[in-house]
Amino acid sequence: MIELDVTTDRGIAVVVPRGRLNMVAARQLRQVLADIITGGTSRIVVDLAETTFLDSSGLGALIGGLKSARQAGGDLRIARPTPEVMTVFTLTNMDKVLRPRDDVGSAFDV
Amino acid sequence: MSETRPDGDADGTALRLDLPAAPEALDDVHDQLDLVWERHDDVSVADRFRFLTAVMEILGNVAEHAYRPDVRAPQRRLELVVTVTADELVATISDNGVPVSLDLSTVTMPDEDAESGRGLALALAALDDLDYERSGDRNRWRLQCVRRD
Repeated sequence: MIELDVTTDRGIAVVVPRGRLNMVAARQLRQVLADIITGGTSRIVVDLAETTFLDSSGLGALIGGLKSARQAGGDLRIARPTPEVMTVFTLTNMDKVLRPRDDVGSAFDV
Repeated sequence: MSETRPDGDADGTALRLDLPAAPEALDDVHDQLDLVWERHDDVSVADRFRFLTAVMEILGNVAEHAYRPDVRAPQRRLELVVTVTADELVATISDNGVPVSLDLSTVTMPDEDAESGRGLALALAALDDLDYERSGDRNRWRLQCVRRD
């Protein structure tokens, strides 16, 4: 099971998935990201520090959110993946597209 | 620990589950594999994770693609068997779905903006070997991770 906490501060939404981002959780993440963008916030940081597992459907949800955020004039960035979750980005060559940031607060600084 | 099975069955069988072929079963499998690692704590974190990744992708693939829409949920079943030896981690997944028309040698990672279609490619990247065969009226997948660490 997963918890998806969302906080918004100064125009940037921070999403914190706590638990496993698997096929069931990915549907929830897709909806949460869509709701944020529909609600008018297009700059999103997904903080993966407490995400213990990521599969291809979770990755698909992140990519869907990235595309929607960019279409709305913003961006989606990921921060603080664990080494295990990072291997999924590396194995799928998505580490170039979703370049992980070391810090949530400065994810949109550069 | 509630498990009573001793470490290292003679044939290395660490887990045998009969499951619904549904996305909702994935968390159960994940929990059960966590218990396997408790019994086999010499398996490295890196090996556990790539094995887990591949098992989840193939189970997800079966749940999403192996059944015609008119097959009701209670009829969709799969069996997962995991063996752990000093050299390798192996999972066999068999399901009662329709035959898979797929050449694994042609599976590639989709374009970077694709939102789906990475599952089998990710499983192949995580594993040392992935085999599929149709055996009687069942699909049978065999996933192998050679232990590295």
